[in-house]
Amino acid sequence: MTKESDILKIVKEDILEVVGRKNKRTPLKFMKLEVTVSHSFVSKAIKELEEEGLIKISSEKRPWKEYIQLTKEGQVRANAIIKKHSVLEKYFFKERRSEEEAIEATNILEHYISTEVIDTIKKLSTFKKEGIPLTEFKQEEGLIANINLNIGLFERVISMGIYPGEKIRITDKIPNGIIIEIKNKKFVLDNNIAKEIKVLEYEKS
Amino acid sequence: MKNLKILLIGQPNVGKSSLFNVLVGPKVVVSNYPGTTVEVAQTEKIFGNTKIMFEDTPGIYSISDRSEEEKVTERALFEEEADGAIIIADANSLERSLYMVLQILEAEIPTIIALNFVEEAEKRGIKIDCEKLEKLLNIPVVPINLLTKKWVNKLVDAILKTCPERSRRIKEVARRDFKIEYDDHIERAISKISTQANGRLPKRFVALRVLEEDEDFYKYLKNEKVIGDAKENLKEHPKVAEDICITRYGTASFIAEKVTQIIPLGKEKKLGAKIDRILLHKTWGPLTTSLFLLAIFGILLYLGNLIQGVLMSLTESLLFSLGVAEHSIITIILVQGLTGLAIGVSIALPYVFLFYLLFGLLEDIGLLSRFIVNAERFLKKIGLPGKSFIPLALGLGCTVPATRATRVLSSKKEQFHTASLLAFVPCSSRIAIIMGIVGFYEGIQLAFSVFATLLVAGLIWAFGIKKFIHIKSEPLLLELPPYRRPLIKNVLAKSWIRMKDFVYIVIPLLALGGIAYGILKILGLTNIIVEPLSPIAIWLGLPAVTLIPLVFGFLQKDLTGAMLISVLGSKISLALTPIQIYTFGIAATIGIPCIIALGMLIKEFGFKKAIGLTITSIIYGLLFAGLLWRIISFF
Repeated sequence: MTKESDILKIVKEDILEVVGRKNKRTPLKFMKLEVTVSHSFVSKAIKELEEEGLIKISSEKRPWKEYIQLTKEGQVRANAIIKKHSVLEKYFFKERRSEEEAIEATNILEHYISTEVIDTIKKLSTFKKEGIPLTEFKQEEGLIANINLNIGLFERVISMGIYPGEKIRITDKIPNGIIIEIKNKKFVLDNNIAKEIKVLEYEKS
Repeated sequence: MKNLKILLIGQPNVGKSSLFNVLVGPKVVVSNYPGTTVEVAQTEKIFGNTKIMFEDTPGIYSISDRSEEEKVTERALFEEEADGAIIIADANSLERSLYMVLQILEAEIPTIIALNFVEEAEKRGIKIDCEKLEKLLNIPVVPINLLTKKWVNKLVDAILKTCPERSRRIKEVARRDFKIEYDDHIERAISKISTQANGRLPKRFVALRVLEEDEDFYKYLKNEKVIGDAKENLKEHPKVAEDICITRYGTASFIAEKVTQIIPLGKEKKLGAKIDRILLHKTWGPLTTSLFLLAIFGILLYLGNLIQGVLMSLTESLLFSLGVAEHSIITIILVQGLTGLAIGVSIALPYVFLFYLLFGLLEDIGLLSRFIVNAERFLKKIGLPGKSFIPLALGLGCTVPATRATRVLSSKKEQFHTASLLAFVPCSSRIAIIMGIVGFYEGIQLAFSVFATLLVAGLIWAFGIKKFIHIKSEPLLLELPPYRRPLIKNVLAKSWIRMKDFVYIVIPLLALGGIAYGILKILGLTNIIVEPLSPIAIWLGLPAVTLIPLVFGFLQKDLTGAMLISVLGSKISLALTPIQIYTFGIAATIGIPCIIALGMLIKEFGFKKAIGLTITSIIYGLLFAGLLWRIISFF
């Protein structure tokens, strides 16, 4: 089970890493797309990072053109995260067979490795970045992590408002599908569609 | 005078058709279920010195051409060239509407947002800053409320200001509107492909559609090889189409977030959720659905009978006064035609209208989509998508509009499969045969066993098709609209639209069918035509004369009963045994029922398929009826 504060910490580090890697100012909007969690988390994370003096938000005339820039202190932190990431990645490439698996493990572990390692590894067993198929999801509420459908269905699902990062509520399971609620809209999904929608567990802090 | 063509575009249930009604009057189906408007409805209205042609389009979530409904809108937008689009947005879920706005802006079509449900959203604590949205997107945003008309002028002004005439548009619309910036690698691919774009559509837009794997847009490229070249550079990002889609929705929700203020409210009580617990329950759901349908059927039979009785006695006295006139051939033919018409009107009209009225109520309350979910469990087993519930249910009224309604389905194969099952869904005329002959002479139980036999015959047919033809049917993916109080005006308007096919096509043809039968009878041809078919009568175990109503019923189904009486005399129960009446009922009701339905099938699926289906279904019905009475008499 992952707590909201944990997600926030992960999101904050991810933001620093993305901006640090780009090595230039990054559009705020881009950031919201890069991180697969609810936009409200991203907003919160950005606000906290700004308060901690790690990033600066600069905006040009047009309001959708807001950029994130690292402060000096932020750059130092970002570099540390990037380094940690690459060390971990090397380690996992040796240990694991597939590249994907290694990157995935790294992406998760980098946030925890400096804290109590064993404790976190225990946590990790339930927290996969890929998420759990909606059909196997046991909680009532979750975050959509990933949608894996052919482009036709994919666009249809997205344009209906079923979007990675949104909070999803499972209202009911019926014999031929699942009834879900997203932002006050109710949908019924075939089980074959639902199993391709991966959901993350989370718990309100 | 200036001419403009403006499209109304929006998600299902967003109030598109209601807006159309407020703008130009009640001329279109309004509905609380996705997919009622499959054709585009058009009407003109003059404002000052501009004639605006409004076009209502089916409810869609995006303009990509993945389903029949989306294709209709896509055609209206790009092939028939619209001067502008009004997008009806839902204040409750702005980002979803903005997704489509962004898509249409990419096509560089002048766009106006009509923001609906503003009050409803405010009650839920969602407040939208229209001015800010206007500034962000650089297009007009007009809040509307479909219960009043105050906003109409503002909307029309916005249209006149935003949508220049076609000749001026090209220069003026190389536009100032908002554009999405995609990731660098996607932008690079876009500019690469746009160099090869050809024709009047915006180059960037064509490139985007091509990258989104829309093959219909390949024809706008000078050289299709460029796709491969552009994708070569995208190897690191194999899911470009998905990325474009995600970025577009992300941008939409980013803009929505910027202009939306959410005031947290206490949790509202949700009656709808409780109703859904029952209506979508694994056992109660199908049960309530069938109960509802049975209740409708009951009301129909009861009220329909009442109205039918009154109309019949009226038309009979009318016909009688005509019939005493001189007996020239022309009057006989005329009387036959009028009889056909009168019987058609008095039998079919009350059933059909009542049925569509009740069906419209179900739709607007929001019950229909729940019924579809329940029906899908069963329909899936016979290889049909949940949505096919709509045409199948409409078939209980009249097969002709029901055939047209198969258009809500996304593939031609699904449409044809569903249409073929209409051979087993008794329409009002066939119900009249079952109730009026079988039920009247041999009792209600036998009538119901005919209904049950139709069901069994239909199931065998459907399983047969599923076994031999593999149809990939669309998985269930449906928005469940909130329950709303239906507006009676809308329900009436909608029933009328559905009736239109019946009134303008079916009723005149009923008269023609009557006349055709009259002529054949006068010329003494009826027996001659029927004679070579006498083996069919032997197969069915029926007297040869009964072939006359069976064969000529195809011209005018409602005349079947009258013809049977005229060949056998009014004491049918003496002339035929109960088994014979039962066999006759089945033979008369399985199959594509009449020449008018055949005409609609030809229109939708082409001559070959329509004739093939009609003949096969009728032969199937005859085989079934013949086999059945043999089995029954065996015991």
